[in-house]
Amino acid sequence: MNKVKKRGLEKAYQKSGWSFISIAVVMVLVFNIYPIVNSLMLSTMTGKGVVMRFNGLGNIKRLFVDTVFQTALKNTFTFFIIQVPIMILLSLIIASMLNEPKTKFKSLFRTAIFLPCVTSLVAYSVLFRSMFSFDGIINKFLLSIHIIADPIPWLLDPFWAKVTIILAITWRWTGYNMIFYLAGLQNIDPSIYEAARIDGASKFKQFTKITVPMLKPVILFTTIMSTIGTLQLFDEVVNLTGGGPGNSTLTLSQYIYNLSFVFTPNYGYAATISYVIVFIVAVLAIIQFKIGGSKDE
Amino acid sequence: MKKILSVMIILALVLSLAACGNNEEASGSMEIKEDGKITIWAWDPNFNIAIMEEAKARFADMYPDMEIEIVDYAKGDLEQKLHTNLASGVTTGLPDIVLIEDYNAQMYLQSYPGSFADLTGKIPHNDFVDYKTELMTLDSKVYGVPFDSGVAGFYYRSDVLAEAGYGAADLENITWDDYIKIAQDVKDKTGTAMLAFDPNDGGLMRIMMQSAGQWYTDAEGNPSLATNKALIEAVEVYREIANSDWIKPTSGWGEWVGAFNSGDTASVITGVWITGSVKAEASQSGQWAVAPVPRLNVEGSKNASNLGGSSWYVLDSSENKGAAVEFLKETYGKDVDFYQKILVDRGAVGSFKPSQTGSAYSEADPFFNGQKVYADFSKWMAEIPAISFGTYTYEADAAIFANMGEVYNGGSIEDALKKAEEQLKSQIQ
Repeated sequence: MNKVKKRGLEKAYQKSGWSFISIAVVMVLVFNIYPIVNSLMLSTMTGKGVVMRFNGLGNIKRLFVDTVFQTALKNTFTFFIIQVPIMILLSLIIASMLNEPKTKFKSLFRTAIFLPCVTSLVAYSVLFRSMFSFDGIINKFLLSIHIIADPIPWLLDPFWAKVTIILAITWRWTGYNMIFYLAGLQNIDPSIYEAARIDGASKFKQFTKITVPMLKPVILFTTIMSTIGTLQLFDEVVNLTGGGPGNSTLTLSQYIYNLSFVFTPNYGYAATISYVIVFIVAVLAIIQFKIGGSKDE
Repeated sequence: MKKILSVMIILALVLSLAACGNNEEASGSMEIKEDGKITIWAWDPNFNIAIMEEAKARFADMYPDMEIEIVDYAKGDLEQKLHTNLASGVTTGLPDIVLIEDYNAQMYLQSYPGSFADLTGKIPHNDFVDYKTELMTLDSKVYGVPFDSGVAGFYYRSDVLAEAGYGAADLENITWDDYIKIAQDVKDKTGTAMLAFDPNDGGLMRIMMQSAGQWYTDAEGNPSLATNKALIEAVEVYREIANSDWIKPTSGWGEWVGAFNSGDTASVITGVWITGSVKAEASQSGQWAVAPVPRLNVEGSKNASNLGGSSWYVLDSSENKGAAVEFLKETYGKDVDFYQKILVDRGAVGSFKPSQTGSAYSEADPFFNGQKVYADFSKWMAEIPAISFGTYTYEADAAIFANMGEVYNGGSIEDALKKAEEQLKSQIQ
């Protein structure tokens, strides 16, 4: 008698539970899942604007012969490999410095380093563009303190353009990651550091043997976030260098934009490239999870 | 009680959401709704928008109840919105009239068939310059109303050139080799750079190619880069200019205009639409003059070319199509006085043939030291070789400049152009 009642009650709970979330599920299906499936189908088509025809795996074949795509891929990876480690390391060092009890004006530094993160991406890119122009402030400053003899062609040379982008991104996002690390550092018991100091460990040893291992989950999180962000880099390259001299700072996202709005629109091929980004992000995330080893701490 | 209230609120919200979706009206007929509304999208408030405002004022005299709204967008934003709306098939967000750059005309017409109104026979296209009407024709149907010509000129500071020993007669009908020699001389004798140059901008390249009757694609639309004699010479000239000491390297519109406004450079070679920007520096009045653009050595090259230029198109989904067409016909397709006014005020050289005999076109401009610049531009406009821009202009430009770095460093031009052609071929679908 009780069992029947229980099953009936459970059924009622199930029914009301499902009916409550059904609206949300429908919305997710319509606004999230449907576009994803649709874009997958779109990536099998090619053509001009709305005049499209079925192309099967043709778009994927095209990826292998498309030199612009390969350049964009190389550039995106270059930015990823150079910028992410530098920024993560910088954020870690700054965070641990700001975590020291002896540091003065902590909140001032914290605010100052975090402030770039609340600026508009477009606004700061445009400003950086004028600062790094051939006769902009940066060159004038470097010339005046005699570090260089000739102005550096920041935005006109393929190598320097990449450097400028990396500088811009690092300036923008270091503070963001720093905040995560600062929060993580609050969870480390200062007595561990005291014990290490008593045992004679140098600051560097403390950093590498205590701070980094204890912050592993936070570092993993920020690394994946930074990876995704850098692989989708768009605002800075479009507003600072416009894809750079030649295609030297062209990123995958900008190439997708070009294929849709600048060149003759080929929405199918653009969709294919966006799936390339998805694939790369997925692979890198899996790798980082494996290295981070979150399961067996 | 609370439950009933919350259910009522949710119901109200859901219903208002449903009401948000507009019903699409069937595309309008050609009758003119006298109290209707026309929405126009364009860029450049100092030029296109200002000129449209003038046209709007004139049309208001004829149809006082018609409401005309002119919306100003940045060119890139306008193109993005246009693509998004046309690709989605939802026409409620589209304007009635839109400005489209001539290089993109065929691309829009071929990518979104049926989106633009067929204006064959509704606008007096024979009264417009040939090269403008040709570029907006697809399958024998003409789709737009030609607007400004980008007829190019060689603007120079007559005082600086005079200091180096060059007068107007020395600059008539020169070749690019002559220009380079003059530029070096000007730099050596006066210390002023001759040209603001962006090594990644293809504007000058397009001027050079069109002056020789060539383009990135041939008449059938096939890529023509590696064997294109005009392009090969243009790339050579680019290399010489880029590696010289008489240029000021710039990047972007602001720096480029700033270079000649500030007096850092003594010349600028581009379309006539730069006149407004040149004149913006009032202190230089009387010190500028305009000569015909230099020509290439390649056979068939003229001292006349074009850069840019755009035209007005009517969207087929417009609810007030009839009024939109009537508006364009009465102003751009008929009003000769309108063309005089926009020439004097904005330096807009229209492509409406009957307007070119008007008074403003033969006036002497004090900013250019009394030179009858517009008479000159009209003369050159008639000589511009008519070519088809195809649909892949920007892809070709990107392909070429992706490989220009090697060229600037002394690499082989043939190899660079071969690579560019490979890249362009893979873009063509």
